[in-house]
Amino acid sequence: MLRVRWLALLSCLFAVFALTVSACGDDDDGGGGGGGGGGQTVDIYSSLPLQGASRPQTTAMVEGIKLALAQAGGKAGDYTVKYTSLDDSTAQAGTWTPEQASANARKVAQDDKAIAYIGEFNSGASAISIPILNEVPIAQVSPANTAVGLTSDEPGADAGEPEKYYPTGNRNYLRIVPKDTIQGAALASLMKSEGCGNVSILNDKEVYGAGLARNIEMSAKEIGLKVLSNEGIDPKAPNFRSQASAMKSAGTDCFVFSGITANGAVQLYKDVHAAMPDINLYGPDGVAESGFSDPKEGGIPADVQAKTKVTVATLSPDEYPPEGKKFFSDFEAKYNEPNPDPYAIYGYEAMRLVLDTCKKLGSDCSDKQAMIDALFQTKGRKSVLGTYDIDENGDTTLTDYGVYTIKDGELTFDKTIQAQGG
Amino acid sequence: LEASTEAARLPVRRNTWDRVRGYIGEYGLIALLLALPVVYGIQDISEDGSLARLGNNVVDGLSNGSIWALVALGYTLVYGIIELINFAHGEVFMIGSLVSAGLFGTLGLTASTGAGGLILGLLLTLVVAMLASGSLNTMIERVAYRPLRNAPKLAPLITAIGFSFILQNVGILWIGGSPEGIPDLIDAQKELFNIGGVSIARGDVLAIAATIPLVLLLTTFISQSRLGRAMRATAQDPEAARLMGINVDTTISLTFVIGGIMAGAAGLIYALYQTTIWFLQGFQAGLIAFTAAVMGGIGNLQGAVLGGLIIGIIQQISDNRIGGEWTPAIVFVYLVLIMVFRPQGLLGEETREAG
Repeated sequence: MLRVRWLALLSCLFAVFALTVSACGDDDDGGGGGGGGGGQTVDIYSSLPLQGASRPQTTAMVEGIKLALAQAGGKAGDYTVKYTSLDDSTAQAGTWTPEQASANARKVAQDDKAIAYIGEFNSGASAISIPILNEVPIAQVSPANTAVGLTSDEPGADAGEPEKYYPTGNRNYLRIVPKDTIQGAALASLMKSEGCGNVSILNDKEVYGAGLARNIEMSAKEIGLKVLSNEGIDPKAPNFRSQASAMKSAGTDCFVFSGITANGAVQLYKDVHAAMPDINLYGPDGVAESGFSDPKEGGIPADVQAKTKVTVATLSPDEYPPEGKKFFSDFEAKYNEPNPDPYAIYGYEAMRLVLDTCKKLGSDCSDKQAMIDALFQTKGRKSVLGTYDIDENGDTTLTDYGVYTIKDGELTFDKTIQAQGG
Repeated sequence: LEASTEAARLPVRRNTWDRVRGYIGEYGLIALLLALPVVYGIQDISEDGSLARLGNNVVDGLSNGSIWALVALGYTLVYGIIELINFAHGEVFMIGSLVSAGLFGTLGLTASTGAGGLILGLLLTLVVAMLASGSLNTMIERVAYRPLRNAPKLAPLITAIGFSFILQNVGILWIGGSPEGIPDLIDAQKELFNIGGVSIARGDVLAIAATIPLVLLLTTFISQSRLGRAMRATAQDPEAARLMGINVDTTISLTFVIGGIMAGAAGLIYALYQTTIWFLQGFQAGLIAFTAAVMGGIGNLQGAVLGGLIIGIIQQISDNRIGGEWTPAIVFVYLVLIMVFRPQGLLGEETREAG
């Protein structure tokens, strides 16, 4: 009898413990719910790498998302919005992991009230979450992905893309940043305008890095640049001196890395600069973060910064329409940050797009398919980023890319490139 | 430190395959190891008219390989004496780098520090890094391996892997999950001199110049000192060594201290040479260094150094000629071929276990 009581007591304790753990273990709840009282609730999630080199960017995105929700009073039409920020990275990896991206997507797929999933930051992560959310289906809006193959089979995509991401045959994924055909063309145009002739490309072999490298190569060749090499790297290699030496022997006068900071970018740029101190170095949005640019955060040193330029689909606040300018002043007012990370505005716009679409749908907002259809019907949207459409593939019609130099560890807007999709 | 026996070998009938294997093991491996340099050497001469490019690959390989050799010594020392693969050794090396980088900040060492201050600071850092890694390695032995001395061999293997992960997480807590650039104190990639087109940078000189005395010191210590003899005796037969009055536990602890000290030195050299540190660097370096130790003949000090240098050169030739994405595969193809035709490694002999 005593044994049975003990067992019962243990079971109760275990149950209490399990409940406590599960309650405490929930991801960061962005709050936002605000409205409270009455009405129905819908859930919106974001899935971004909140640890590792991308943390400053993704933290800014989450702040942008929360700002949009706060400005809407935590509501979309009659619906109260509950926002939850999920993390698709681990401290161990220092970047996104397939396991976390998959776990986040599965968690949202099981939420009946979920209407949208803002993410991922990395194209490779979206390659994992899109098919999971496509089966439900739930609308996925990426504020940062640029890999061509996620939405189209245009040059730069791999065999089987994008169909393999959409098992139902219907689309549920869209993005508000221009895809890499645009970024590849922007980087090629930038290199051409700065007198490059012989370009060497290294890529990190991820969905994003390898795809963008193909786009850069194609665009560069189209405008008359000679591409000496386009090779993958072992991101975990201790250094890249011999590859840098090989590029030097080949006569490289401009170098571009197509990949993300977490995949050895800092060491790579240091080694390439050491081998060829006079050449210009270029990087895409994958390295547009303080973990790459700021030596205080483990980024490249000042002499390498001076030779490096980075493209990001974000412009100077002055170059945005009035709505964009207002975003920057609102952001500063809320977070006391006059110079937000370039990605903050994309987090904001992703949430605004979902909230505005939900409001437009009225009572149909909680209908997952209706939400997807409405998002794909976005036309002439006057946003903080400018006026854009979402095309049938889920791509934005925006094409502007910003060129950033690095000064004292900070990404500093230089100019806008009106790149044409290649 | 070879844990070898001269056990009488039973006469066995050798079939044709064994004879071929033996022949290749003795002579073919030399051809295999020389294949890449010879092929690319001929190519360089025919295309460029000089061997400068190959020379640069070899110099880069020797400097990289020196670091792997220092780490590999720790693996081979421990394996030689207790036949344990100390999987945590790579992480001890990583902690050596983190301690060094931390001390750069504490001592205020920057790229603009004067030569005198820099040398003093780096010497102090070297001592502290060696002490830190040596103590850490000894602590791991005391906590995770010694209590399992008589346990099945898998048990200390698991605790070694466990400690490896614990130390990786210490690294994450310390510097975060991403590779972190640190000040380039010695201007590591600045060319110091150039011999016939072969560029030798400060980092190359540092890595090789620091490794040679350390390896010589270690081999002299093991071959000539009383404690070194005790280590060799323990490696050959722990029970007999105990009966001869050798304190086996102390000797084993000493082995871990020495292995850790080497890892600490390698940690500092790595930090100065690469100018980037990462919590996962120990896992990567450990994998390479362990491969080097096996390639050279695990338990054999000279073999570990030779293995480290060979892997360094293969890596650099592959990075430079074939492509960095293929380098890990090429290194392991070499390892597989060497193991198939010479299972005991390049300089290895049969161990207690195998013998």
